[in-house]
Amino acid sequence: MPEVKKKTKEHESVLVLLQEAQEKFGYIPEDFMANVARSLDISLSEVFGVATFYSFLTCKPLGRNVIRVCKSLPCCLKDAQMIIESVESELRIKPGETTTDGKFSLTLTNCVGACDKAPAMMINDDTYTDLTPGKISQILKKCK
Amino acid sequence: MMWMDVENITLTINDSSVSGREGMTILEVAKENGIDIPTLCYIPELSPTGACRICVVEVEGSRALVAACHTPIAQGMVIRTHSPKVLETRKTIVELLMASHCGFCMICEKANICDLRKIAADLEVGLPRFETEKRFYQIEDVSPYVQRDMSKCVLCWKCIRACREIAKKNVYGTAYRGFDAKVVVDCDQPLNKEVCRDCGICINYCPTGALTRPKKLGEEKKGKPLVISS
Ligand code: SF4
Ligand code: FES
Ligand code: FES
Repeated sequence: MPEVKKKTKEHESVLVLLQEAQEKFGYIPEDFMANVARSLDISLSEVFGVATFYSFLTCKPLGRNVIRVCKSLPCCLKDAQMIIESVESELRIKPGETTTDGKFSLTLTNCVGACDKAPAMMINDDTYTDLTPGKISQILKKCK
Repeated sequence: MMWMDVENITLTINDSSVSGREGMTILEVAKENGIDIPTLCYIPELSPTGACRICVVEVEGSRALVAACHTPIAQGMVIRTHSPKVLETRKTIVELLMASHCGFCMICEKANICDLRKIAADLEVGLPRFETEKRFYQIEDVSPYVQRDMSKCVLCWKCIRACREIAKKNVYGTAYRGFDAKVVVDCDQPLNKEVCRDCGICINYCPTGALTRPKKLGEEKKGKPLVISS
């Protein structure tokens, strides 16, 4: 039976490099991915695969405030849908979109580890919990 | 002597005692003994991925059904390849694949050479009971060598592995996650000439109608037209 190919060192360093780019540019530019692929001698599609697999990495520029609403089961059961909808109507964007003024981006994410205080969301590095539609507009108003 | 260590593992498949060599998979032993287990994502000459689960079998003492294509045999294993539980599960797996697969067999050109359709027919899977969301993608027909209709893809990863391990080209990769998972070229660009040469290996491996050789309409009308006078 042929050997199952193990995850190699290259695959580990792809993630590290992509994380660095994410921090530096706020997103991962395509030519950066091409450089990573060339320097590690893997294909561009593999690098792109890693970049699109993790919800905290992104391939397009995002707004200054990235809102990540949790959509995992515990939050879902505590009506995360209502939270998503109130952010949507507040900002007039759908998940995956950015406001025209470049202030907010909305995405959905998996569990952020705050299930006991569900529903939860993150804005950049801060976590907001026990959300209600009322709280949403207050929180959004405070964002610069 | 080589033959000293062959056939050193004995096991039971469907109530008959069979033997195999260390490192063989359940699928390989079954095949050697004339037992047919359907497969979809398995390529004999390449590393198994266990992506499709169609090859599931029952192993006594194991909590869940196991995939025959990548599970190695062990001494004393008791395996059932066609028990009611196996057949029902296999059928459901095919049904789920069919439910999220956007091909409409009735109008699909590849219907008669489609492995998925054949398996579905063999297992007597009718119209899927499940209404699931479907993915629709634009057909990629930029390349003169391979046309991709990813709406029909069932994510078996055969094209990725064939391109990587047989053609040694590594054109395809998997991208996105969960429901959005897709086989992509570069940063999800349509397949083009520069990255892909005309080996066409992926087309032969694709078990569905997702990958096809592009049709050149001009070629269908080569030769002198037939003119019947008077
Ligand atoms: S395009 Fe065909 S071979 Fe490639 S993953 Fe999809 S179904 Fe499998
Ligand atoms: S499920 Fe939302 S924080 Fe865990
Ligand atoms: S053939 Fe075994 S999991 Fe697909």
